[in-house]
Amino acid sequence: MEELILELKKQIIEALNLEEITPDDIDTNAPLFVEGLGLDSIDALELIVLMEKNYGIKLTDPGKSKEIFKSVATMAEYIQANRTK
Amino acid sequence: MNKITSYYRLKDNRLTELYRSLEISYPKFFKMDRLCKAGFLASEMVFRSLGEDPQSPKHDTALVFMNSSSSLDNDMDYQTTILPGNYYPSPALFVYTLANIVTGEVAIRNKIFGETSFYISSEFSAKELIITAEGAFDGKGIRRVLCGWTEYFKDACDVLVMMVEKDAAEGLDFTEKNINQIY
Repeated sequence: MEELILELKKQIIEALNLEEITPDDIDTNAPLFVEGLGLDSIDALELIVLMEKNYGIKLTDPGKSKEIFKSVATMAEYIQANRTK
Repeated sequence: MNKITSYYRLKDNRLTELYRSLEISYPKFFKMDRLCKAGFLASEMVFRSLGEDPQSPKHDTALVFMNSSSSLDNDMDYQTTILPGNYYPSPALFVYTLANIVTGEVAIRNKIFGETSFYISSEFSAKELIITAEGAFDGKGIRRVLCGWTEYFKDACDVLVMMVEKDAAEGLDFTEKNINQIY
């Protein structure tokens, strides 16, 4: 799980062009949106693409997004349970 | 006669290096496409030279930019995300597939409340710049226009941003000759 969390942080930094942030700067349990990294709606869409492209996960239920993208930890848990690649 | 009270010519494509050297703290910069970064930085230099705080609201300022390749530089990046067999459209790239986004980014950063517009032209023309910028003065309460040529395509950066002011006591006359000289 630790390995997946680190990999995910690196992918988020690259996908969202967070150039002044390192994986160590991202609190695994901190909120990704509003507080924490302060991501916006375009970033949310980019994370959905990241999940599909890198882990083969297609999010079909928008209602679940809030829980999945709560933090890096919740994203990693969802990926581990649902990844197809 | 309207006058150019400040201008910045940017031809160097090392945009991130320039951003860092200016010690600006604006994380959104890194999410912008190259056209927006170039327009943002040139505008930043113009406002700095005028000693203006980006955060002070500017109700008397309009914004007019022009270029020839529109947003093609970013459009080509976006195209790589929608190729058959590798179809993962990037929302972050998609939002920059319009040239006038640069005017929005500059207006947001500098709290410019006047009208903003972007024109596509086949090539740089001081005459067209004057016509479009002077038209922007017709807006209610507009006393000055941030205007210029913001071209970025395939690593070639060709940007000239000017502040043009109505009834300014000092500055270069806003004429074709002067624009061509500083371009």
